[in-house]
Amino acid sequence: MAALGIVGMEDVGFILATYIATFVGSIALAVYYLRRGRRLAAQLPPDDKPWA
Amino acid sequence: MFRVARLIAAKDLRIEFRSRVVTNQVLPFAMIVMVMFAFALNTQEVVERVAPGLVWLATLFSLLILVQRAFAIETADGATEAMRAAGVDPAGIFLGKALALAAQLAVLEIVLLVLAVVLYSAKLHVGGVVLLVTTLLAATCGLALVGTLYGGLAAGVRGRETLLPLLLLPVVAPVLIGATRATEAALGTSGAVVSDGWPWLGLLGVFVALFSVGGTLAFGPLIEE
Amino acid sequence: MTDMQLTAGQPANANATAESFSKPTAKTSATGTPFTRILGIATVVSMALLVLFGLFLSPEDVVQGESVRILYIHVGTVWVAYVAFGVTALSSLAFLWKRTTSLTWDRIAGASAEVGVLFMALTLFAGAIWGRLAWGKFWVWDARVTTTAFLFITYIGYLAVRGLGGSHQQRGRRSAVVALLAVLEIPLVHFSVKLWRGLHQDSSVADTTKVKLHDLMLFSLFISLIAFTLLFVWLVMHRQRVLAMQDALEDKGLDYALEQRRSEGGL
Repeated sequence: MAALGIVGMEDVGFILATYIATFVGSIALAVYYLRRGRRLAAQLPPDDKPWA
Repeated sequence: MFRVARLIAAKDLRIEFRSRVVTNQVLPFAMIVMVMFAFALNTQEVVERVAPGLVWLATLFSLLILVQRAFAIETADGATEAMRAAGVDPAGIFLGKALALAAQLAVLEIVLLVLAVVLYSAKLHVGGVVLLVTTLLAATCGLALVGTLYGGLAAGVRGRETLLPLLLLPVVAPVLIGATRATEAALGTSGAVVSDGWPWLGLLGVFVALFSVGGTLAFGPLIEE
Repeated sequence: MTDMQLTAGQPANANATAESFSKPTAKTSATGTPFTRILGIATVVSMALLVLFGLFLSPEDVVQGESVRILYIHVGTVWVAYVAFGVTALSSLAFLWKRTTSLTWDRIAGASAEVGVLFMALTLFAGAIWGRLAWGKFWVWDARVTTTAFLFITYIGYLAVRGLGGSHQQRGRRSAVVALLAVLEIPLVHFSVKLWRGLHQDSSVADTTKVKLHDLMLFSLFISLIAFTLLFVWLVMHRQRVLAMQDALEDKGLDYALEQRRSEGGL
C-alpha cells in the first residue's frame, strides 16, 4: 500500500511503531506502579499491607 | 416527592424572575454563539443546511451555563446541605430543579429557533409543527434531567465546576444526534421528510425514560457530602 | 494525592514512625506477592509469544497485507478496555451494595478505570494507524469507533471525579454513581451513533474489511487476548494495592498530624 506521505516510511514502520508504543506504554505504567508501591510501602507498617 | 419538586421548581423560577440572569446573560450568549457560527461557516447555503445542528449546539453550550447557574444559587449559602439536613427528599430536589431548568431551556430553545429563522433562513412549515414541538419537549426534558444530575455532582466546591462540561457533553450526545435529526425532518432541511423524524423522537424518549429513573435514584447519593 | 512523607519525630505515644518500617528488599517487592510474580512472568511470556506470532510467524492477509498485524494488538487492547469498563462498573455496584461498602471495591474500580484509560488510548492509537493503512483514513464515523472514543472520554471524566477530594467513602460513592451512569450512557451513545450512521451508506466501510482468518491468524488473536488480559489483571492488582497504601497513608497522615499537634499543645 502507498506510504503515508511521510517520505520513506512504509507500512512496516507503522506496525512496529504500534507494537513499540503499546509495550512502552504498558511497561511505563507498570514501572510507575511498582515504584509508587515501593515508596509507599516504606512508610507503612505491615498491617496496612494485608496481601503480603 | 412531587410537592417538594413543585416547591423547589417555584423557588428556582422565582429566583430567576427576580435576578433575570437567564434573560440578561444566557440568552445574549446564545445569540452571540449563533452569530459566530455564521461567521465560522461562511456561506449561506452551508449555514441553512446545518441550521438545526447549530440550534442544538448553541442550546448545549448554553445548558452548561444554565446548569452552573442552577447550582450556584444553592451552594452560595449552603442551601443544598441545609435542605438535606432538614430531611428534604433528594428525589424531590432533583425533579424540582430539573423542572425549573427545563422551563428555562424551553424559553432558550424557542428564542434560538426564532433566531434560526431570522439568521439562517430556516423555514417552519405546518406539516412539521407537531414533530418540532414534540422534539423540543423531549429534548428539553432529557437535557434538563441530565443537566441537573451532573450539575449536582459538579456543583459548588472549588475545582468542580470545570468538570461539568467534560462530564455532561458526552452524555448528551444522543440528545444532540436525535434532536438535530428530528428537527431536520421537521424543518425539511437537507431533504429530510417529516416521517424521518419519528424514530429519532423514539431515541429521545428512551433517553428521557432512562435518565428520569436513573437520575432520581442517583441524585441523592451524589449530593451527599 | 501526593505521598505524605512521615517525618522523623517522637510522638507522645508509641505509634511507630517511618524509620521503623523495613525497606522492601529485592525479595519482598512492596505490592508484589508470589501470585503476581507468577502472573507477571506469564504476562511477559505471552507477550513474547504475541510478538513472535503477530510479527513473524503469522501470514499476511490476502487483502490487507502486513497491516493486519496491527489487529493483533488492537483487538487485544480493545477487549481489555471494555473488560476494564465492566470491572469498574461491577466493582462500583459491589461498593454501593448495602452490605459491601468495603473500600477495596472502590479501589478496584479506580484501578481498573486507570488501566482502562491506557488501553483505550492504545486502542484508539492502533486503530487509527490500522485504519490509515487499511482504508486510507485515520478515523471513521461508525458506532464502534465513536463509542470507544466516548468511553475514553467518559473514563477520563470518571478519573477526574475520583480526584475531587473528600473522604474515601465520599469518593467511592460519587465515582460509583458516575460509573453506573456511564453503564446507562455508553450503550445509548452506541445505539444513537449506529442509528445515525445507518442512514449513510459509507457505514459499510468497516464491514468490508472482513478479515479471512487462517488458523495462525486466529491463534495469534487468541494469544493477544490472553496476553493482554494477563497484563490487565497484573496492572490492576498492583494499582489496587498502591491505592490501598495511599488511602492508609492518608488516614495515618491525619492521625499522625493530629498526634503532633496534640503533643505540641500538651493536651
